[in-house]
Amino acid sequence: MFINAGGAVEVDRHFDKGFKALALEAFRRLESGYGSVEPDTLVISSMAPESMSEQIGIAGVIADHLALRRLKVFRVEMGEASGLAAILTAYSLVSSGLSRGVLVIGVEKVSEYPVSLIAKVYSMIGDSDYTGLYGISPASEAAILAKIYMDRYGYSYEDLFKWPVLMHKNAVKNPHAQLRFMLKSDSYKDSPIISEPLRLLDAYPFGDGASALYISGAPGDTAVEISGVGSSNDSCDAVSREDPLFFRSVRESFDDALRMAGIARDRVKYIEIHDSYTPYAYIVLESLGLVERGDAPRKISMESSSIDTTYVNISGGLKARGHPWGATGVYQTYEVFRSLLGEAELSDSYGAVQSMNGPGSQSYSVIMRRVR
Amino acid sequence: MLKDSAPRIWRMRDNLYRIRYSRCKACGASFYPARASCIRCSSRDVEVRVSSGLGTLVEYTVLYQVPARMQDNAPMVIGVVRLDEGFELYGVIVDADIKDLRKGMRVEAALRRLRVDGSSGLITYGIKFRPVIGAAHGEGSGRG
Repeated sequence: MFINAGGAVEVDRHFDKGFKALALEAFRRLESGYGSVEPDTLVISSMAPESMSEQIGIAGVIADHLALRRLKVFRVEMGEASGLAAILTAYSLVSSGLSRGVLVIGVEKVSEYPVSLIAKVYSMIGDSDYTGLYGISPASEAAILAKIYMDRYGYSYEDLFKWPVLMHKNAVKNPHAQLRFMLKSDSYKDSPIISEPLRLLDAYPFGDGASALYISGAPGDTAVEISGVGSSNDSCDAVSREDPLFFRSVRESFDDALRMAGIARDRVKYIEIHDSYTPYAYIVLESLGLVERGDAPRKISMESSSIDTTYVNISGGLKARGHPWGATGVYQTYEVFRSLLGEAELSDSYGAVQSMNGPGSQSYSVIMRRVR
Repeated sequence: MLKDSAPRIWRMRDNLYRIRYSRCKACGASFYPARASCIRCSSRDVEVRVSSGLGTLVEYTVLYQVPARMQDNAPMVIGVVRLDEGFELYGVIVDADIKDLRKGMRVEAALRRLRVDGSSGLITYGIKFRPVIGAAHGEGSGRG
């Protein structure tokens, strides 16, 4: 299975573009960058178009807008992890023989409502009869896990704030990142608290976006092979688990992908991870097994954005590239695809993507390498 | 999404007005929300129980970015409560000044208004937690 082409729109507050225009722009960029494609299947990943754009059957509407015909059309939704779930779906469609070439487009309109309403819709990623109904939002859950993390491992808030600083630094070099400006190590002082101790600068920004990939069974002229995929799940909330600071589904999905690729984790030289809130970056890196438990804030290199020999979130991550919900996994995969093709240093190594919904409630992993 | 459904609130009454949790008869684990199988050992041999509502505040945060329909309550205190039956859940903490909150303090379940649907007049109630009045800090104290 191969990724033959990709494209992405800048993550931003696109007040002038709806989901159709965003999806079309991502598709145009894919074709202008890599040549025209002839998909027989369209898979749209989008988390909340019913709430944000009053649209059901979004995949069919986008297929029509792109004027693509004779298509098998699907929408994949698994909360924030929809994008990577869509790529696993595309992988399965091609490997089963049902599809020859799948166009995957992740698209989301997030930003054009008041913050309280966006927070309400985002709160629906958990169990709506429990956390959702009581207003126990994802931000408050992340804040509680941050406090447990700081308490257990002896970190201060300032120690953890390294992550947003690093992500902003990385995003400056990413042409489609939403927050392309540097932070200082004390920038948090001017940032409002969203759920203490977490501040606005600890959370992903609200932005719209679309990113596209073409996945087929033929390598073509330039291609990245999908070497392994994995997925697993856990409780919707983190606190009913034996250890809320270990995202078991993240480990299981990554281990499955590594096993399928037939490689050890130290062969992965670049990974994009799901850092919706600062503490999740550290918990995910530790749950992946890339660093010992409690060591991630100490071990992440601010110079090279790496843990040992693995580059992490060169894109700027959800924190600074942005997190247009259902589109994010497609952005992450496009970024690793582009780097494997473009960076000489990575030409002979593996890249990976980790995505999850909530605090590791459902997880997906993809491992890739350049073949042409 | 922004309107309440009377049947939904009605059918959730057992979960809104009481804390129903699962206890596994095979491994002894207790967990919330109640589920059909054990989240630790996967045994199907689980029973639903009702908690006393007494517990200890393990951790908490003050939430300022409050979701729509909860803004009358802003800022909200969200806590992790360890119930005396041995399981943890997230709960909204009420009836306390933020500066008086302490990890380890005793809390108890209290029925409180969750939200009001302005158009149809539906009022949804549910369980929140308040400090046990006069209780000393620390697990195991403050009963009665």
